[in-house]
Amino acid sequence: MADDKILIIMTSGPDTPRRCATPFFFATLATAMDYEVTMFFTIDGTLLLKKGLADTIFPKSGGKSVGEFLREALESGVKMTACTASLELHELKVEDLIPEAKPVGGATMWQMAEESKIVLTF
Amino acid sequence: MAIIRGCNLPEDLYYYPEKHIWLKALGGHLFRVGLTPVAAKLTGGKLTAVTVRAKNIGAEVQQGKSVATLESSKYVGPVPAPITGIVKRGNDKLTADPNLVVTDPYGEGWVVEIEATRWEEEKSLLLTGSEGLAEYEKKLEAAGISCS
Repeated sequence: MADDKILIIMTSGPDTPRRCATPFFFATLATAMDYEVTMFFTIDGTLLLKKGLADTIFPKSGGKSVGEFLREALESGVKMTACTASLELHELKVEDLIPEAKPVGGATMWQMAEESKIVLTF
Repeated sequence: MAIIRGCNLPEDLYYYPEKHIWLKALGGHLFRVGLTPVAAKLTGGKLTAVTVRAKNIGAEVQQGKSVATLESSKYVGPVPAPITGIVKRGNDKLTADPNLVVTDPYGEGWVVEIEATRWEEEKSLLLTGSEGLAEYEKKLEAAGISCS
């Protein structure tokens, strides 16, 4: 039987640094539980996928950067998707994002949500 | 009791070397499962949570699928089932003291008990005895892992 799917919708970004690490942590944990995990970044969350930016955000001063949490999630197998409309919101191009982020439209978010056992939004 | 590259690895246990898991035969096809000091070292120190997946209790889990998760300040990852079998119970003591996995890995720090359902097919994948430990040592050396 295929593993159950989880979708994590990430809307928080650099303006709220304390909200930026936990979603990646939960994503990594879910892959450790054999869930198939996808994160969908939109609104300000998409900024975290901008090359180099996540490394400059620290939820706790002196602690791990959001970039480290992001890389751990990628290494554990979490898939990352970026809302194309939010690219426009922030005047970003696909080339500005980390290569692991796949740009998708909003309808894809609904499709992923339909296919997921659990959907979380941060 | 054997000390290999600074790691305490008893000869009378079975080992799933890929994930540094030990198995102790309890009789019949029942095995107690835990993590070796190698795994403890790789998690980077004190464990903040070890969570046995409740929905697996009473269910058959395939070899390699997660039976529990480990969390430390530096690491989050699965404890995969070293053999296919029915998860009979998890170690309740880990809820209050997850770090038992590090401080008493072969005693109070065991993780789950599994009743193997494919033992004859899968036992050849495990290492045991002095020969098995010699092979485990080679793998640790190749990966540059030691406990000291």
